[in-house]
Amino acid sequence: MATDRIAERRRIFKQYKEDVESRGKPFYPFAMFHDTVMSLVVVSVITGLAIVWKYSTPGDHIGTDPGWLGKLYDAPADPGTFSFVPRPDWYFYFLFYLLRIFKWPDTVVIGTVGLPTVLLVILIAVPFVDVRPERRLLRRPVAIVASILVVVSMGVLTYKGATAKESLGTELVAKVPSWAKKQGFANNPKAIAGAKLFAVSGCLNCHTYLGLGGGFAGAPNLTAEGAKNKGIDFQIRHLENPAGVNPGSPMPSFQGLGTANLTKLATFLEASKGGK
Amino acid sequence: MTEPHDDHPHVPGPSLWPVGFAVGIVVLLVGVIISWWVAGLGGLIALAFAFLWVRDLTAGTALAHAPDVAPETGGPAAGEPAAAAAVDEEPEERYPRSKFLELSTLGLGGVIGGIVTAPAVGFMIAPAFLKQGQKDHDIGPLTDYPEGKYLIVTYMADASQGEVSRRTAFVRYNGQLKGQPSFTIISNHCAHLGCPVQANGPLDEKNTKQIGDVTLIPTVSIAGFGCPCHGGQYNTEGNRTAGPPVRALDRYSFSIRNGHLFIGKPFSVSHVDGAGATAVIHKWTFSFPGEHVNGLESWLYPIQPPH
Amino acid sequence: MATRRLTRKDQIQQTILYPVDWLEERSGLVGAIKYFLFRKVPGDTNWFQTLGSATLTAFIVQALTGSILAMYYKPDPTIDPRTKLPVAYESMQHITNDLWAGWLVRGMHRWGASVFIILMFMHMGRVFLFGAYKYPRELNWIIGVLLLAMGLGEGFTGYLLPWDQTSYWATVVGVNLNGTAPFLGPFLAQFLNGGTYIGSDTLSRFYAIHMLMIPGAIAALIGLHLYLVIRLGVTSPPWSKEAAGTGPLDGQAPNGRVGRAGLSRFRRGQ
Repeated sequence: MATDRIAERRRIFKQYKEDVESRGKPFYPFAMFHDTVMSLVVVSVITGLAIVWKYSTPGDHIGTDPGWLGKLYDAPADPGTFSFVPRPDWYFYFLFYLLRIFKWPDTVVIGTVGLPTVLLVILIAVPFVDVRPERRLLRRPVAIVASILVVVSMGVLTYKGATAKESLGTELVAKVPSWAKKQGFANNPKAIAGAKLFAVSGCLNCHTYLGLGGGFAGAPNLTAEGAKNKGIDFQIRHLENPAGVNPGSPMPSFQGLGTANLTKLATFLEASKGGK
Repeated sequence: MTEPHDDHPHVPGPSLWPVGFAVGIVVLLVGVIISWWVAGLGGLIALAFAFLWVRDLTAGTALAHAPDVAPETGGPAAGEPAAAAAVDEEPEERYPRSKFLELSTLGLGGVIGGIVTAPAVGFMIAPAFLKQGQKDHDIGPLTDYPEGKYLIVTYMADASQGEVSRRTAFVRYNGQLKGQPSFTIISNHCAHLGCPVQANGPLDEKNTKQIGDVTLIPTVSIAGFGCPCHGGQYNTEGNRTAGPPVRALDRYSFSIRNGHLFIGKPFSVSHVDGAGATAVIHKWTFSFPGEHVNGLESWLYPIQPPH
Repeated sequence: MATRRLTRKDQIQQTILYPVDWLEERSGLVGAIKYFLFRKVPGDTNWFQTLGSATLTAFIVQALTGSILAMYYKPDPTIDPRTKLPVAYESMQHITNDLWAGWLVRGMHRWGASVFIILMFMHMGRVFLFGAYKYPRELNWIIGVLLLAMGLGEGFTGYLLPWDQTSYWATVVGVNLNGTAPFLGPFLAQFLNGGTYIGSDTLSRFYAIHMLMIPGAIAALIGLHLYLVIRLGVTSPPWSKEAAGTGPLDGQAPNGRVGRAGLSRFRRGQ
């Protein structure tokens, strides 16, 4: 059986070679013309992207402000930083998002090296798994389904990797004015101070607020916390001892902030009525 | 005439000796990194299998008989006709010249390859593993560390490397334990993939102190640490509370000299029981982020390179 | 015998051809180039099949812009006492802001990398859907996958070179990702770092890998890849009549009548 298949495919290839010799066209200029046009497109796209990258950067077109295609460069590398959100280049976003899917500690090695290695092995093995000489697409349903699945999943993973947001304290503080506007506490200085504390104390690592934050603990959305009218005293008591007020809560205690800070936080929470 | 000096290249039969030789070389190279005993063992294995391999390769040639054909019979044209005569007359009783040249070429080629590549490849690999580890660094007088509060400390771990060796640690003075000052010094590299971890709480940046290359930033109060990359969360002792980190945050050992705190070598922590000065820290060899240090998955990482 | 007097056109042609013939007699190079240019390919090759040469063009753009950037870039992470900036970062800024057309060459290199990777994936998809990885082109497919892996490796190592915050931390995570591989992971991570942490040797290491080791390997594999394409021939699209002779009902026309086994009918012949 196997030797039949081998002899058959050799025959098909020999036939192909003979047909190309007798009926084919010379590579130059027929196919090479197509190649040249496509190469021109490629070079133009690369040059165009370079020009847009530079000239869409605001101001003098130098510096660290992002343009349409991102920043020309960031601040210099600081190995001791504690306020930066690392991201890889966009073509690694699908791997980056894979790491967020495998979020349980025991499964980390699957997302980092397990799955990519398996996929690479499958990729290399493709010609040895599919040994049929059939090339017509309609007669290769597995190939079509597999390619659609791969394209869609890589596209989705890349998109989700690109839009994954983190709750970085220093970036969130900049959002406080827009929160104040949306929630209507812009003229309440205590609430604004509380909002800033909320931003830097890591609350959005677990809670969500006005579409930001998240994390793994499944903590409640605080956008409309004030609408529940629990009162400032309750909020302060809860912040001092979350597990005491809410048995079983994994939320840590914020007692160390001190009564003044806790009052500001509580004011902010009570002023968050749910946005316009 | 059986098997004259053949024009076809001599292809050796399948043999396991090269595999053993390769294993010996690998053990030798790993031993250079880990321990000289292992390296010696690897060298011995490589030598033993090399000997067996070469013996196997040369087994086809018969060295039993001394050459019968004396060069004197060649007469005036000693070289070529003698060689031709040798080809005609029972070459299997002589060690063929072509075989000797073949083996010598391969052998010498192997030696040349070894002389050129071994030091070069060793140079590429070994410096990453030898002479690792840095000296203790002074991170300020004990009086700069109020009890119970975390400070964010950045320092240059190796002055000769410069800024690239800058590191950050979260340092808290826990009070006295059995008459000695107790400190909790936590690394800011997340235990998942090494991203810089942030303190969850407001900072008191007005009171930042700068002592040489060391910067001390006090915090007001923090409820734990969070990682911006994939959402890992830790409590104030560095234990993982949420997210993908595979163990607790690494810690640094420390020493105290002349009233100054010195930060030392890092080590990995699986988990911490208790808190503050009386915390029980389950300490492991320093490992890269993402590597389990205990449990079943730690068997994936049996040997740590010298850190 | 009388020699015909040569026309002007013939004279010019002879002058041009003389060095070509000189080269051909001494090296055979001209014949090889002619073989490459005038070899036969199926008449119905498709625009999709230009993706391979497009990828090669992108790689050549990368190699060229990269080599030229190397004339101005300094892979040194130490701080310049005059400007308090790392030297590598400074050289990158210098290229982007000060040098004539520096921003253009750097931009072409940076976006050329993205275009190169996109084209590699598209070319791989096209080869997969055309079934051009099947016998006898399996080896070419494997070489292609290796090229893909090395292209991604180039992207990873090159990302560190500007030495800004994004570069540094993306590299930290990338190296630690490698570190989680079982058994040899920690050794691989420490080898890439040049030590336990990213240190003064890491940038020059990545530079050497990015500039010399991987491009050398890529160039060699591309040469092999192209040699195999020329040797094994280009496939025609899967919807061509030529592919129709390869199914289980080999030799049968789609309407079921038995035709000559494997005969291919090109729509546009020579």
